[in-house]
Amino acid sequence: MASRVDEPHDDLIHVTPNPVIEPGHTAASVTDKISALVLKRKTPLAWYIGFFISFSLANVLMFTIAYLVTTGIGIWGNNWPVGWAFDIINFVWWIGIGHAGTLISAILLLLRQEWRTSINRFAEAMTLFAVACAGLFPLLHTGRPWLAYWMLPYPNTMNIYPQFRSPLMWDVFAVSTYASVSALFWYVGLIPDFATLRDRAKNRAFKVVYGMLALGWRGSARHWHRYETAYLLLAGLATPLVLSVHTIVSFDFAVSQLPGWHATIFPPYFVAGAIYAGFAMVLLLTIPLRKFYGLEDFITLRHLRNSAKIMLATGLIVGYGYMMEAFMAWYSASEYEGFMLKNRIWTGPYWWAYALLLITNIIIPQILWSKRARHNTAILFIVSLIISVGMWLERFVIIVTSLHRDFLPSSWAMYRPTIFDWSMFIGTIGLFFTLLLLFIRFLPAISIFEMRTILPGAAPKEEG
Amino acid sequence: MSAEAAADTKTTYNAPSSVGQLGGRALVAGVVALVLCVVGAFVNPAGFWRAYLVGYVFWTGVSVGSLAIIMLHHLSGGGWGVVIRRPLEAAARTLPVMAILFLPIAFAVFTHRLYPWTVPEEADLEIIKHKAIYLNIPFFLGRTVFYFAMWFMLSYFLSKWSLAQDSADDPRERRRLKDRLQNLSGPGILLFGLTVTFAAVDWVMSLEPEWFSTIYGLLIMVGWGLTSLAFAIVTTVVISKDERLAHVYQPRHFHDHGKLLLAFVMLWAYFSFSQFLIIWSGNLPEEIPWYMRRLFGGWGYVAVALVIGHFALPFVLLLSRERKRRARSLVVVALLVLMMRVVDLFWTIAPSVLAMPHHGGGADAAHGGGGMADVVAYVLNFITPIAIGGFWLWWYARELASRPLLPLGDQGLEDALADANGHH
Repeated sequence: MASRVDEPHDDLIHVTPNPVIEPGHTAASVTDKISALVLKRKTPLAWYIGFFISFSLANVLMFTIAYLVTTGIGIWGNNWPVGWAFDIINFVWWIGIGHAGTLISAILLLLRQEWRTSINRFAEAMTLFAVACAGLFPLLHTGRPWLAYWMLPYPNTMNIYPQFRSPLMWDVFAVSTYASVSALFWYVGLIPDFATLRDRAKNRAFKVVYGMLALGWRGSARHWHRYETAYLLLAGLATPLVLSVHTIVSFDFAVSQLPGWHATIFPPYFVAGAIYAGFAMVLLLTIPLRKFYGLEDFITLRHLRNSAKIMLATGLIVGYGYMMEAFMAWYSASEYEGFMLKNRIWTGPYWWAYALLLITNIIIPQILWSKRARHNTAILFIVSLIISVGMWLERFVIIVTSLHRDFLPSSWAMYRPTIFDWSMFIGTIGLFFTLLLLFIRFLPAISIFEMRTILPGAAPKEEG
Repeated sequence: MSAEAAADTKTTYNAPSSVGQLGGRALVAGVVALVLCVVGAFVNPAGFWRAYLVGYVFWTGVSVGSLAIIMLHHLSGGGWGVVIRRPLEAAARTLPVMAILFLPIAFAVFTHRLYPWTVPEEADLEIIKHKAIYLNIPFFLGRTVFYFAMWFMLSYFLSKWSLAQDSADDPRERRRLKDRLQNLSGPGILLFGLTVTFAAVDWVMSLEPEWFSTIYGLLIMVGWGLTSLAFAIVTTVVISKDERLAHVYQPRHFHDHGKLLLAFVMLWAYFSFSQFLIIWSGNLPEEIPWYMRRLFGGWGYVAVALVIGHFALPFVLLLSRERKRRARSLVVVALLVLMMRVVDLFWTIAPSVLAMPHHGGGADAAHGGGGMADVVAYVLNFITPIAIGGFWLWWYARELASRPLLPLGDQGLEDALADANGHH
């Protein structure tokens, strides 16, 4: 890279329009700027306001859970035949959001996409908090969360084992593996930065806490060598999880016989939808973050543009999924499939949800084809918000419209969420943002040491 | 790159003469195989048509899959794509051959020999009547014409602008051509996805018109992408035997090709297994017979061979970094993958029957007289890919030799050819 700058005739071709890190930064300035967010800078007022709102909502969640556990899940609106509703919709929505974090941190690392570096820490934190919110729903749907260990296969006096053929059982393994690998990956990535914070902290308490978290990191060559190996191994472990978790979530529906659920395209289409929703959330979070904290040098337009391209591509796969479902529902010539399609799209009581879904998830995001839209943070922010709503609606449509008209017309019924369905959902959004704001305040939101490696001329030449 | 250097490379990056020889030999092999096919067609006509479809879908896959990989490369960049761009473009330019070779299929459709929905007494079934608006002969042929028109269009512009880059001396002009290629590739991928999906439904899935699967289009797409990537790897290894070109194709390129091949192998396995697990779990009468026909009565062995040869073996072999970087060991895996692609299509297409199961067609009326005729039918499935492949390869060799083997105007060429230690 460095030598090419000296060649005069090359300048025209090799200038990158949007670099991953704005010019003029050195290793010291990167370290200063990012660590100052935690150690020196005065916490902005916006942070306090945001924290106040999120923490209030998190308390709404606390009250809802307390009432739910003492009363029972009857306080929710789901009832036969819609036995799964907000609890599963929100579970799938949250767990999907997490996938972008894993994709960015693991797959893009293996693909040597260096632009990932400034957003990976943040996206991993997002994954972790999203999985935490997701996990609450199935746990509380059991009604007796203190007996949740019954979901694990262990020898017991009741002689009862979980059903190994059930994807709900696979979910337990998939999600708990996902949570533990994500947490480990995130923590390991933080170790060198904990050491930086430890060395720079002035406050005694901060020094001690960061010092313990840094596990005695001194930055010796041997430390780095082992560290790189461990990080790469964890990336390799995390990669299949991007596919496997949401594939198994899709099996929850697809292995049944219910029209609208039983479709072979579900696994790839769910994975694409998860990445789609996840990148929308990444943009929703990074656009304000870079603005309020003045991080435009590190999270550049290139990051936003690439995220927008990934959203466009995954969104089109999701659209392809809708199209194939509709086409095959007709082509199958099956009475039930045909009815499901008609009921879902125009004759059923939830037609508006499907119409909104197409508008929010498919039609509006097509604006991302335009280069100008991809470079406009306001448009990106609004489109990301719309996609987040769209992906929530997608799960609503799949779950509720398939269940409310099942095979037996006498059992048809409507599903209406109660106030506690809503308070639980909104409460998890509060919990998510509470955790995220604490993370931004106390941990380096951008990986300091990895940013130093992508400075021009910093990295040794890539081996062949 | 200076002007003399460019002029110099233009002469050295031409196809070696061995390419033309291989093309000639392929044509001879193709003609011989064709004669065998004609003999086979007399012994077992019904078996012949399905065997023809196996070969046809395989080679169309190399041409059309190449389009997808070129477009993926234009969208994502990278040296791995620069060095195989020209072979892929040449593969895509064989589409005229495949268009002509569709004529026998059109004949089989008109004479009701291949697809049950073309047979009048089968088309009377309620389930087929429902689909008659889609599965009818004029619309079927019209769609195929449309697919080819779209593929020709993509292939024409991708090749044309790529060639124009070679002679463009002004960097701005090159940049403009590169932008054009990129702008075509985004919508092009979309068009590829849609046309291949419906081609898959028309040409293959409708062999059993009562059956359906929403992932089927993706399964054929990834199969075609895998076929064309493996084929490009084989081409590269053959070309790099030439001394003048040996330095071009470096271990790091093969490493990247190997990784991509591994990704495609895993995707294929992921889609196939998802389809199987979902249909097996549902166990619905309209879906499970498709697998019953492909898992019992000897077909189960083919299925196991696919699990091993199409997934487990290439997966394990491609995990090794050294094996991916060595051309000679990578090409072995690529050849294995190509062979298993034929086996996969054989397993998909051959067990279908012309008579619908409701009409007592379960006893495989289509395989004719049993015994000898059956054996001929199965053997034919492996001869037709050679027959069609002979003509395909002959045309491919001509196309490959017609242009420099590397895109001389590509901005990434210099980086792609640089030694691993940064020399250029």
